[in-house]
Amino acid sequence: MIIRKIAENIVSPLGFTTEENFASVMAGHTALRRYDSLWDLPFPCFVSLIPDERLDAEFETQVPCSTSTVYTKFEKCVLLSATKALKQCELDAASDRVVFILSSTKGNVTLLSDENPDIERVTPAHTAQLVARHFHNPNTPITVSNACISGLCAQIEAYRCLMSGQYDAAVVIGADVLSPFIVAGFQSLKALSDEQCRPFSANRKGLNLGEAAATVVYSVDDDAADGWRMLAGAVRNDANHISGPSRTGEGSYQALTAVIRDSGLSTNDLACLNVHGTSTMYNDEMESIAINRAALNAVPVNAMKGYYGHTLGAAGILETLLTMRALEDGIVPGTRGFDELGVSMPVKVSSQSVDTDKHTFVKLLSGFGGCNAAAAFTNPNLK
Amino acid sequence: MELTEELKTKMIEALNLEEMTPADIDDNAPLFGDEGLGLDSIDVLELIVLLERNYGIKIADPKQGKEIFASVRTMADYVAANRTK
Amino acid sequence: MVKHTVKLTPNYLEVNGKRVAEAVAGESFLTKLYRLYNMEYPKFFKMDVLCKVGFVASEVLLGTEGGERFVPRSDRAVLLFNRHSSLHADNTFQRTIANPDEFYPSPSVFVYTLPNIVTGEIAIRNKYQGESSFILLPEKSEEAMDQAVARAFMDRETTSVLTGWVEAVSETEYEALLDLRLKT
Repeated sequence: MIIRKIAENIVSPLGFTTEENFASVMAGHTALRRYDSLWDLPFPCFVSLIPDERLDAEFETQVPCSTSTVYTKFEKCVLLSATKALKQCELDAASDRVVFILSSTKGNVTLLSDENPDIERVTPAHTAQLVARHFHNPNTPITVSNACISGLCAQIEAYRCLMSGQYDAAVVIGADVLSPFIVAGFQSLKALSDEQCRPFSANRKGLNLGEAAATVVYSVDDDAADGWRMLAGAVRNDANHISGPSRTGEGSYQALTAVIRDSGLSTNDLACLNVHGTSTMYNDEMESIAINRAALNAVPVNAMKGYYGHTLGAAGILETLLTMRALEDGIVPGTRGFDELGVSMPVKVSSQSVDTDKHTFVKLLSGFGGCNAAAAFTNPNLK
Repeated sequence: MELTEELKTKMIEALNLEEMTPADIDDNAPLFGDEGLGLDSIDVLELIVLLERNYGIKIADPKQGKEIFASVRTMADYVAANRTK
Repeated sequence: MVKHTVKLTPNYLEVNGKRVAEAVAGESFLTKLYRLYNMEYPKFFKMDVLCKVGFVASEVLLGTEGGERFVPRSDRAVLLFNRHSSLHADNTFQRTIANPDEFYPSPSVFVYTLPNIVTGEIAIRNKYQGESSFILLPEKSEEAMDQAVARAFMDRETTSVLTGWVEAVSETEYEALLDLRLKT
């Protein structure tokens, strides 16, 4: 059974299509910037936000929906991204052979700061249902909420849905928007840097937060000779601590090993390892250990969070789509923000883009709750 | 109330040390590690909030936490020296 | 194949369909069960209610399974479901930032504002290094959950899944319906 990507979209601070985003990344741009008191928070932060005016304008013109409903930013991002992706293919989203899968960590959590919060609307499951109904899809939508690895988990779930024979296509949308809740939360963990994040660097101080919505549509297509497909995916838990990664990179290592084993790949096949690279002291150190334990230290490593910040539920899809797009041009994008290696195990990180003639990569992510995910993607006949 | 007593009471509440009373915590006993109360990195962060909220002390770098929160005694000394509330 | 089931509500605990404990007014049922089953895990008291519910229900379930525990293994997945995500912890955290004059965001509360943390707590306690995940559904649906569990078994290494509905919207409104399923 061949399952491949047939459509996609990215709505982010760097553009509202994959093409726009890719061009921005290649030009080395970022929308990450310092805010002295964003939303009146009593501390400066360094984040990347989706521009509201453009979001509202595109939502109004591209998403046909009730004008009496006031949609939240989160809902608009999800609906707009899904709409734009579906326009790229002939898929009948209303078919019972299509399933909608949402990946989000906090959904509409901003509603909790309202005077009389609409409790039922807070959960991302509500948004998933909103989206499914919007496209007249009759199936129960699945919402993966597995911390920062949700975007990869949702893609693995999509693959399993299609392999099971129950569905022929899956529309997978990953999204999160920022809020005082999220920013104050990460600040309380002292996980944030108030400057440009520096993945894997000796002088890294923490992560930057960002927001985005990214959609990928996978479809069963046995005649397809080309197109991006997932070879294997795995999720493994460190079983160590609920917010700190395992010092031995246990879960990451196990997920990586399972994926390499299940996909039959060797180091030489890989164009790159697109990693989590949040720029916290612990995460990047842990990933360097896991990569070396899995004997993948010769593979170029790159991280996207220097362009977007950490986009939480969107990250797994956003970063996968950009890596796919870049490899179509034979490029492994540089790790923006990287300067001098500052992890204990050697990894091949570069701030500059590198050329490649390979068309397979592995994506790696880690999240709170001790979970880790890895997935291998390939595009045969890529020239 | 003595500062050490006060800190113990506040700690027990802030860190959900449900099965303890102030009498169970020795002033000089290590708070971290297996021989101590077994506090972890999240507890350090919560103690940093406790110090700011109750005593007006801001600690920017959690790495300083390991020394300041080594024991109730070191905590009390630090608070006495730096409190603004 | 379903091996064992546990149902936990604020009023009673059932194991394999049989009522084994009932709540008494004026005491925390979860703490009572924690002590009754000698769970001996002080971290329990740091957990938010969703994690306490999931933890207690899973402890009873795994105690019922018997056999050796706390040995690292990668072949057991933990897959849990609910609708409201981590709503109770979300509300608790929101209160720590709601007032700009009393702005003290709590890190120990924030770490619980994700539904999958309960799968993490179960994984840590039991040394389960296999797959762990959390799926939100618009409503409790046996069919949707069964299908997701079937998908979890598609991981080659997974031979059993600790799974079920774990919902806690407040300290007094919660429900866990957990079971242990073996690959058929």
